[in-house]
Amino acid sequence: MSEPSFEDAQRELERIVERLERGDADLDEAIKLWERGEELYKLCVGRLDAAHGKIEELARRVESARP
Amino acid sequence: MVPMKVEAVQYGERKVYSVAAFNRGVADWLTRLPSVWVEGEVTELRRHARWQSVFFTLKDPSDGACLGVTILRSRFDALRLDLADGDRVHVLGRPDLYEARGDFRLRALSIERWGLGDHLAALERLKRKLTDEGLFAPERKRALPRLPRRIGLVTGNDAAAKRDVLTTITTRFPAAQVLVAETYVQGPLAAQAIIDALQELCSAPDVDIIVLARGGGSFEDLLPFSDERLVRAVASCSLPVVSAVGHEQDTPLCDLAADVRASTPTAAGRLVVPDVTELHERLDRSHAGLERGVRRALERARQHLDQLHVHLQRAPALMVERKRARLEHAAGRLRALSPRSTLERGYAIVRSDAGIVRTAAAVIAGDELEVEVADGRFGARAE
Repeated sequence: MSEPSFEDAQRELERIVERLERGDADLDEAIKLWERGEELYKLCVGRLDAAHGKIEELARRVESARP
Repeated sequence: MVPMKVEAVQYGERKVYSVAAFNRGVADWLTRLPSVWVEGEVTELRRHARWQSVFFTLKDPSDGACLGVTILRSRFDALRLDLADGDRVHVLGRPDLYEARGDFRLRALSIERWGLGDHLAALERLKRKLTDEGLFAPERKRALPRLPRRIGLVTGNDAAAKRDVLTTITTRFPAAQVLVAETYVQGPLAAQAIIDALQELCSAPDVDIIVLARGGGSFEDLLPFSDERLVRAVASCSLPVVSAVGHEQDTPLCDLAADVRASTPTAAGRLVVPDVTELHERLDRSHAGLERGVRRALERARQHLDQLHVHLQRAPALMVERKRARLEHAAGRLRALSPRSTLERGYAIVRSDAGIVRTAAAVIAGDELEVEVADGRFGARAE
């Protein structure tokens, strides 16, 4: 399975929390949900921390075209 | 004008014209050119009551190219234009050479003010046309990605707008990746230059959204952002576009064609990236919820287990108790049925060797008998 986007991961995490907080999952299922939730949480936080900000100037074809 | 014969003096092989003859020749040739409309800004307007003509210079606002203009004073006054330096005009005239000085100029026949009103009317027409085409329809608007991988920024090298966007983006989301395309943002070349920049950013890798930012400016300065080609390019751009052109009160047409309109470059910065602090807080809330949820599930499972265990432990004792109760019940009934209570009322059981004596005939005189009463037994002999 390819890595979900940050947004998808966050949305899935929030759904899992909702499900757990409703309290209708049995233990096996709750543990599975928790494990998946932890995984998603790490993925999201990792995304936020790992990316390095970068501001680049587009190399224009006609450099002298700048005003 | 009657064409004049231009005389040259022959010096051997060489044909030589006098200045006057040359000027006359060129002037004559110029008369063959048609009348045309020329657009520019009025500068150096000179009008004197003694002069037959009014003079001014027509300047191209984009690159400063100049053209001298003359117009008969009577004609100029009749137009009642009340022109001032800097006014944008359309001049209908013929190319003309002032022979005495060799000055090339435009001899004006008519002048029209090309002002705000004309621009506004032209813009209004274009706006109506594009609205009718559905170019600004709300259903065309696309949602912005919440966390773009890379942001394309089209801006002039004008420091303020660019700085505002970049500062807002990097403050809110330090990990943001921005690709900046600097371009003209005013003047006649701007519209095409911005379209080129848009296309270049669209084809750059990972760019998910485009911000078009320009600080405030005069109405004319912002006109390229209402250029039909640019407006169409924004509407048909393959990526969502946030437009932040001019100030709150300016609404260039590209703002209407964009997916989202930001009132200022700073507002555009806020729209394209989330606040990383808020994002972290939200993730942390989810994380806490996750732990709380699973702990609650564990606790529920343990309580259930504990209850089962209690029941299990209590089971054997309960069983013995129940059995004992049944036994006692049976014993009670047994006791009620036994002859002892009968003996206690004074009856006796008599046994011979042959067993319990139930009839007199079962006994012969001299038989040894045993008599049982309530508190014991004694022997007896039959008579």
